[in-house]
Amino acid sequence: MNAPIPRDIPLPLPAPEGLLEILLIVSFLVHIVFVHLMLGGSMFSLVCQIKGLKTPDYEKLAYRIMQTVTVNKSLAVVMGVAPLLIINTLYAPQFYASSALIGDMWMAVIPMVTLAFLLAYVHKFWWNHFINIPELHIGIAALETALFLFIPLIFMTNVNLMLFPEYWPQVKGFFSAMLLPNVLQRYLHFISAAVLFSSLFFVWWSGRKTFLQEVQFSKLRVIDVRRFFYAFAFGATIVQILTGLVVFVTLPAQGMSWRFTLLLMLGGSSALPAIWWMWQNLTSPGHLIDDNLKRIIACFACAAIIMGIARHDYRENALADHKTAIAEKTANYMAAVKEAGEHAQLDAKDQESKISAPGESAFNQNCAACHHATLPTVGPALQEIKEIYAGDSAGIVAWTKAPGKKRPDSMQMPGFVQLSDDELTAISQYILSH
Amino acid sequence: MDFPIFHIDFIGNRMLIAVDAILHVIINHAFAVGALPVVALLELSGIRRKDARWDKLAYRLLKIIFIITTTLGALTGVGIWFSASLVNPAAIGSLIRVFFWGWFVEWIVFVSEVSLIMAYFLSWQTAGRSPEAKLMHLRLGIFLAVFSWITMAIIVAILGFMMDPGNWVTERTLMSGLFNPMYLPQLAFRTTLAMVMGGMTMICLIYLFTRHDLAFRTMVLRVISNWSGAWMLGLIVASIWYYQVIPNHMLANIPVAVTTQEYVSWNGRLKLLLIVGLFYVGRVLWLSVKRPGQVHGAKYLVSVLLLFAMLGQFERVREFIRKPFIIGNYMYANGIRVADYPLLQRDGILQHATYAGIREVTADNQISAGREVFEQTCTRCHTVNGVNSIRGQLKKMYGGKPWKSEVIAAYIENMHRARYFMPPFPGNKAELDALAIYLASLQKRAAAFNGAQINGIPMPDKISAATVYGTLPNLSITNGEHE
Ligand code: HEC
Ligand code: HEC
Repeated sequence: MNAPIPRDIPLPLPAPEGLLEILLIVSFLVHIVFVHLMLGGSMFSLVCQIKGLKTPDYEKLAYRIMQTVTVNKSLAVVMGVAPLLIINTLYAPQFYASSALIGDMWMAVIPMVTLAFLLAYVHKFWWNHFINIPELHIGIAALETALFLFIPLIFMTNVNLMLFPEYWPQVKGFFSAMLLPNVLQRYLHFISAAVLFSSLFFVWWSGRKTFLQEVQFSKLRVIDVRRFFYAFAFGATIVQILTGLVVFVTLPAQGMSWRFTLLLMLGGSSALPAIWWMWQNLTSPGHLIDDNLKRIIACFACAAIIMGIARHDYRENALADHKTAIAEKTANYMAAVKEAGEHAQLDAKDQESKISAPGESAFNQNCAACHHATLPTVGPALQEIKEIYAGDSAGIVAWTKAPGKKRPDSMQMPGFVQLSDDELTAISQYILSH
Repeated sequence: MDFPIFHIDFIGNRMLIAVDAILHVIINHAFAVGALPVVALLELSGIRRKDARWDKLAYRLLKIIFIITTTLGALTGVGIWFSASLVNPAAIGSLIRVFFWGWFVEWIVFVSEVSLIMAYFLSWQTAGRSPEAKLMHLRLGIFLAVFSWITMAIIVAILGFMMDPGNWVTERTLMSGLFNPMYLPQLAFRTTLAMVMGGMTMICLIYLFTRHDLAFRTMVLRVISNWSGAWMLGLIVASIWYYQVIPNHMLANIPVAVTTQEYVSWNGRLKLLLIVGLFYVGRVLWLSVKRPGQVHGAKYLVSVLLLFAMLGQFERVREFIRKPFIIGNYMYANGIRVADYPLLQRDGILQHATYAGIREVTADNQISAGREVFEQTCTRCHTVNGVNSIRGQLKKMYGGKPWKSEVIAAYIENMHRARYFMPPFPGNKAELDALAIYLASLQKRAAAFNGAQINGIPMPDKISAATVYGTLPNLSITNGEHE
């Protein structure tokens, strides 16, 4: 494998690796659910607002959707901290490397998310201020949605890049990392999942008893709204399956294994009954069967959990060799550090016994930084000092206690009141005898 | 550092973290820790006095707090992670391994805090329907205030550790790291400062929001001024305590007079700010307690700005004291562990820097090798042309005279003794000379200096021929520690 092999951080993991992995899978899934709801909500609100230009009831719907977005987006951020922490812990050599390689864009995530959130607040809190300028309002919503759509692409690029150390040397900045095989497919797969999960969420949400009372539609029927979301859920599922297949076929071989393939198939097939139920709901006229909704959500939840495990499995496979090589290198390095440290200690003892002049070590400690034997550095060279103070060791002591300001292009030398007269005399004698 | 080196030459890497962190701390102190109790206090007053104006005002303040903390506040918090992991991955990576569970608890508290603030804010209107619901809602607000204080208390422990790891270097446990000698004075100082800051910031907003109802303004300002004034007394005591403990503790560890001088000037500035700030803010609060409604809004604003400046300067001194370490006595600010030095000074740092493009200094690669050495050892704190630029520093030292590489080398060799905020040079003699030659070449010509996010990293096969890391003596085998 022609990949850079760095060293790991030489401190033990804070918990058993297995525990951290389980925490990672669980917390990541929770994070992603809220990201999906935030992202999908933002897209649906935009779509409904545009529809609202013709059918005003959709504008009311858009407002209600936005209220869920502002909650889900906060949860998406806080829930993201845990997986970030664990990735930092478990994959330090890989994750920090890939982050640095796309560093500019990675850092830009922070202002971009802040801006997107602020836009979301402007969009929601000042809803009624925009009544006469819907274009501006929709423009803000579109910008917010565009940012929400772009940010996951940065994350996707990073977590993909960290899996393949052999690609690192060919990466020059974010866009080249984004164009590595598999990123864009995975991204589309992710976006369609966001549409799928959020539309299912909104099917449930618009089925609550209080929903009608909240939105106060004038004409639109709740059943139409739910059908609208169902149609999106169905379409997104189909796209999910297609993009999923593309992702699978184009996945680099590094992380492939039978176990992983099996997990993917299991995850994919657990979504199949849901498709059948959704089809029934969409085609049976007049009513939606709420019982099926629970089953559908259960199916997809199952699929998501299995996919989450599979995703981790692939990562572990892809990095297995790299991790082994890193562990070996780190062990060797630490041994070398130990050996060099012991040598250095012996050397230091030798050095100490060699120092003959009494003032030498005090000079090295206090003065050598600015006074070199022959070269003028920060202060004048020892040669020069020797000439000025030939035979006058008391003069050096006096100066050092309270230095004056002589050389115009030099800095002011600090005084050394904390050194005793004996020490200073020893230093000055060392200087003169040097 | 064994990571690809991210570098922003314009604002500099340290500045990137500093801007983000200071923004975060100000928002956290002024809009969360110190402000949430004020909102709860106003809500309580509204219930007691059965006056809807108090409640409305509290809600308006909370809306601003909500908007700021859940956007800029939360994201600058995450931003500290992002920027630190880009700028000094070795340090943040080490800290995470030690403090994982501390941070994990912090995260749980953080989740609760965000959930609580959403619940508190979003249920405000519905809670008004019945007195019982309103009381529950008030309790929620008090809970929230306590939670946000706990979040701060945990993070202060971590910051305190970075300044002085206490027993951690020998014991290496989470608890020994958390309970370090600096903890309590810092926490007391921050808590009281945050309360005064939050109170003052809210007073400014209240002043703005009550401009059409001056009688009400007087009433509210009296309550909040009393509240902030009480914390002000606490702040004075805490400042004295902090000032007593920390300088003595740190000064004892500072070896050279220069450093003392340097330190005194920084700390002197903090002291001045503390005295002027405490005096001014104290006086404004005193007037405000005695004659609320008659103090001009500008005075409140100046007080808030002074408090922000105090906090900012406090953070700078705190950071400065820590130098040259990023984790006291364990790791230097250049990301290199103290224990690594003997090896790197013997073999050379380039031998062990996986992502460097050159392994060994030769007669004809000195400038480019010197650039690599600079990248590895100086760029965490210096840029070439931007903030704290090395060109500017050298110009200050040598001016227009030709920069001589021997002179520069003699300086770098000893710089940690004169300028204690810089770590000792971690490479060998050949690398020192190459670095000095590179630095001297900057007098005439400085090519743009980019980090790994633009230049990428070298192909491993291009440099592996010159590498000895593959054949690094595997001492673990001879020592019988591994099979
Ligand atoms: C921070 C840098 C620094 C350190 C450390 C330092 N010096 Fe100096 N020293 C200077 C500078 C700069 C000058 C030139 C001052 C001037 O001419 O104004 C100087 C000048 C001198 C001179 C010449 C005075 C003259 O009359 O021309 C003597 C002697 C001297 N230093 C002794 C010492 C001794 C002894 C120590 C250690 C105890 C020491 N210095 C440590 C910076 C330093
Ligand atoms: C821990 C951060 C840090 C590191 C690492 C560091 N420096 Fe500095 N350096 C500073 C600071 C801070 C200053 C002072 C800036 C100021 O206030 O003017 C400084 C100042 C300097 C100066 C001017 C000194 C003077 O006496 O005025 C030089 C020259 C310098 N650094 C060179 C280097 C070189 C070369 C390296 C790499 C081997 C390096 N530094 C590494 C933080 C650092």
